[in-house]
Amino acid sequence: MGISDMIIATVILAGASYLLYHSLWKKKGHCHGSCDGSCHKK
Amino acid sequence: MNGQTVVKEQESPMKRGNLRPVEQRVVTIAVAGNPNAGKSTLINAIAGSRLHVGNWPGVTVEKKEASFDYQGTKIRLVDLPGTYSLSPYTQEEIIARDYLVEERPDLILNVVDATNLERNLYLTVQLMELGIPVVMALNIYDEAQAKGYRIDVAQMEKMLGIPVIPTSATKKTGLDQLLEVAVSGEKGQQVAAPHQLNYGEDIEAAAELIAGSLRNSHPGLLERYPTRWLLLKLVEGDAEVQKTTNLTDQSLLSEALYHLRRAHGEDLEAVLAEVRYSLATGLTREVLKKPELPRTEVTEKIDRIVLHRVFGIPIFLAAMWIMFKLTFDVSKPLADWISTMIAGPFKHWAEALLGLIHAPEWTVSLATDGIIAGTGNVLVFVPMIFAMMFFITFLEGSGYMARAAFVMDRAMHAIGLHGKSFIPMLLGFGCNVPAIYATRTLENPRDKALTALLVPLMSCGARLPVYVVFIGAFFPKNGGTVLWSLYVMGIVLAIVMGFIFKKTLFRGDAPMFIMELPPYRVPSLKSLMIHTWEKGKHFLVKAGTYVLAVSIMVWFLLNLPWGVEHKRDSYLGQVGAAVAPALSPLGFGSWEASSSLIAGLVAKEIVVGTMGEIYVKKAEEKKAEKPTFAQDLQTAGSGLVKALGESVNNVTSTFGVSSLSTAEDAEKLAERTPLREELKKQFTPLAAYAFITFVLLYMPCVVAAVAMVQEFGTWKWYGIAFGYQMVLAWSMALLVYQGGKLLGFGG
Repeated sequence: MGISDMIIATVILAGASYLLYHSLWKKKGHCHGSCDGSCHKK
Repeated sequence: MNGQTVVKEQESPMKRGNLRPVEQRVVTIAVAGNPNAGKSTLINAIAGSRLHVGNWPGVTVEKKEASFDYQGTKIRLVDLPGTYSLSPYTQEEIIARDYLVEERPDLILNVVDATNLERNLYLTVQLMELGIPVVMALNIYDEAQAKGYRIDVAQMEKMLGIPVIPTSATKKTGLDQLLEVAVSGEKGQQVAAPHQLNYGEDIEAAAELIAGSLRNSHPGLLERYPTRWLLLKLVEGDAEVQKTTNLTDQSLLSEALYHLRRAHGEDLEAVLAEVRYSLATGLTREVLKKPELPRTEVTEKIDRIVLHRVFGIPIFLAAMWIMFKLTFDVSKPLADWISTMIAGPFKHWAEALLGLIHAPEWTVSLATDGIIAGTGNVLVFVPMIFAMMFFITFLEGSGYMARAAFVMDRAMHAIGLHGKSFIPMLLGFGCNVPAIYATRTLENPRDKALTALLVPLMSCGARLPVYVVFIGAFFPKNGGTVLWSLYVMGIVLAIVMGFIFKKTLFRGDAPMFIMELPPYRVPSLKSLMIHTWEKGKHFLVKAGTYVLAVSIMVWFLLNLPWGVEHKRDSYLGQVGAAVAPALSPLGFGSWEASSSLIAGLVAKEIVVGTMGEIYVKKAEEKKAEKPTFAQDLQTAGSGLVKALGESVNNVTSTFGVSSLSTAEDAEKLAERTPLREELKKQFTPLAAYAFITFVLLYMPCVVAAVAMVQEFGTWKWYGIAFGYQMVLAWSMALLVYQGGKLLGFGG
């Protein structure tokens, strides 16, 4: 596995990890959304 | 804010940038009403937004908004949760009350069910106490008229002092008039504050005494809160209000309430409630004329059958069976077509595309064996998920789901809950996550926690792909029945576990609850489509996020250490192999099965995705020649036409109409996909059933865990759910496999 392969693999894994983190943990609070796409919080 | 409908927008970025300011009137309208009064349908009809609409109590929990322009005015609709009153007992009541008292919208749009006038007016009376202008949408007016009800709208307006507009959200009548009234402030005809209803001499005198004391000692409170509302809350001894207003000086209140307590006793809250009910009853008598001899309604006729003490539960089980059979039969040919597309053309095209850009060989494997095999094997079940959501939405919209909760009420009492708890559990058939959030509709923490613990036993849509893969491979002739058995197993085990919890963690009696049964309605096709999409799109989003991310990670875990020859020696394979002996007595002690189950901890459908990554490569290797692009397109087109034909054909065969499908066709269908072929080599039918039983019951997915922790603010309940479900899954799979072997079903 060359250095370029390692870089590509790292970028892909980092992207996948971010996607998982973003969709799983960052979306705190459940919101069904509204017509303008917002999630109004008091 | 009282009586004012004109609000100018806050300083905008445009203003700060010294650009010409654009001043647009913004009218904030809070939409309040009882559950099932048609609030969400009304907002959908007005704003075209796609809020979730159910036909049974407790669906609308979150506050939702819709903004749009009307005749130059920006209208901001805020959909408050459906409530019967503004008492601070349920989560919905607290949300609605806090919003109205603290945010003080410009107008309250009170949606009232014209067919249930008296009950709905109880909330109206409370809304009028807030001193905020109220406009009433007398909704479902068409049904009231069809029942022969005659409502004197003019008299109602006169008595309440608020505009009353007859509407039908489903037929979109009266909506323009409603909006005209809402924005009428622009024309100098502002909606006035409603009449102040008289609560009787004693109460009014006590309120006046408190008002006098507050003017001297706490004048700020009278400005901060709606005066009439604050005084009445202090009269009834609302603990929340006393706490938030810091009115600890009890002598102030006890002096004012002395005579009231002497005359009516200590429970002044009940006295106030009685007064409000009397007002609602009185108003109804004045304005509503019902036909003297009410016709026997269709709803009553149907209810006599579906709510029957003996037949109620069998009818519910039969309805479920038909739903699952239809789901399975209708969507299976389409699912198989997508599977063929993913295993064939999509893979070929991805390989060709990556070859064109000279991508490294391992990225081709990542794309085809990781992303396409993992995510693709989950996407295969999109038709199935949408078909099931369609049927669930139909049952909700028709009013039957509320009946299902009602017939289950007795069974629920056996486990220390009431029928209302069955509603979140029914939602769990779609997805456990919103079902866990829906437990907030329950009044006490005990019910909430117990229901949330049982919700994961309801088989969600994410588990469906796993069942279907195994059913297609092992039980193609009895797919609907096997599927039904899994859902019923979930319900039965929920009752058993509830009973155990009632005797251990949650001692005590189930609280009383009066359940509302809405009339039967035929849901419109548009509404069915919108809500099916709302429910099903979550699954598509998951496929593009969790499943995609985990598919990539699983591929790396199956290929690291780099250059590993056998997947068994990869990191995931090693972990799977370490866990496998514990699953051996259950009939699926292979590293492949345990690795898939481990990956499925993130989301259950990933079990199938991971199996796709592990098994399919083996099957694919055997294939030699690759078809051309034109051949792929031809396969896709002809396959789709055939699949659609089979779907239609299966609908008729579900209901016993002779069909072209034969047992032979079913066998062929079952053997078509490489994953199923491979599974048939790895599992026996009995082990397959034990495996899907394990998938049904083992720990809630991580997304459900996050929901549970958010809802309860502690890991405690998730910890308990995790523990008991792992034990239950292992025990039940053991029982199925070893018991089946003993009964001679083969190993």
